[in-house]
Amino acid sequence: MHDQGFEVITVACETKGRAGAEQWLAAAQPKHPSLIDPHHLVPELYNTRNVPAVFWIDEAGRIVRANDPIYIRRENRETHEVTINERYLEGVRDWIRNGSASRWVTEAAETARRIGEPDAADTQARAHFRLGIYLHEQGRTDEAIAQFKRAHELKPDNWNYKRQAWNLGDAQRDYGTTVIEAIRNGTIPFYPPLEMPDPV
Amino acid sequence: MSVTILYEDAGTATAPTAEASGDDLWLGPAELVAASGWEIKPEGVCREEICVPVPADRAAQLVRDGAGGQWLNLAAFARYIEQPYARDDSGGAWAFAAPASERRTALLTLEAPDFTLTDLDGRAYTLSAFRGQKVLLALWASW
Repeated sequence: MHDQGFEVITVACETKGRAGAEQWLAAAQPKHPSLIDPHHLVPELYNTRNVPAVFWIDEAGRIVRANDPIYIRRENRETHEVTINERYLEGVRDWIRNGSASRWVTEAAETARRIGEPDAADTQARAHFRLGIYLHEQGRTDEAIAQFKRAHELKPDNWNYKRQAWNLGDAQRDYGTTVIEAIRNGTIPFYPPLEMPDPV
Repeated sequence: MSVTILYEDAGTATAPTAEASGDDLWLGPAELVAASGWEIKPEGVCREEICVPVPADRAAQLVRDGAGGQWLNLAAFARYIEQPYARDDSGGAWAFAAPASERRTALLTLEAPDFTLTDLDGRAYTLSAFRGQKVLLALWASW
């Protein structure tokens, strides 16, 4: 697909940086740019609250489809079985062929709705999260946890902030919960809905 | 005191002679521009094409004379432009996030926000360098 003016760029939102992403990237041997985002800059810029989140950007640098919670290719952690989301992949191919005429491209207003609008609590949480990462890097673990907790209180629906903080230490000890528990018991949706066009 | 400043999209900056006390953070001209990009000019506090005028009744909170020229209270300035920030208890580390209005305005244009990041081998990539191609941008994490 690369010959057709198309590129995939992946961004690993990992404060552990190399250590977090390396084994996966080493196994996948990607040929596309596979970037590491230790301070979660891209989630801030694109207003995302969880991973995965996929954006389609056209030749003019415009977002034409936003925030799809989907792994196109996924490898099971235990069995290493690879599954491909064929339907979504067909959508990507349709976009490559048809550009803005593709049924998979969303109207501007709809794209903006799927991105959502960051509010003051989002950016206040962001400040605490960024400071938390810095303090963690400095080995000031307790202070880091306090900052992460402030971010979680301000934005309980931001799963990136929770996952990253819980992943840096012992979630049960430091935050009294785990990812699995939180997803199971939580009232906050884990993913935005995946909205795809009807099959033809 | 030496203060660490994490300012918006910029990396980590150190301001060796900053003065931090409570919710005040005073920076001299050189350390101010290095950490935040802002500069004090006759027309106000300026960065790139933007200048924020300093009203007379705020001047004492925001600006004062010091070594090297005029100093800015970056935390008071953040409060003035409704920019969120967080600091540690000692005032030795501060993180300033971009104002929500700025992020919102940028996203509403639907122009893909630009960024530069590196891969595992340290090669840097900038999103806007891919103009002219379609890009599928996928955010993930190993969990």
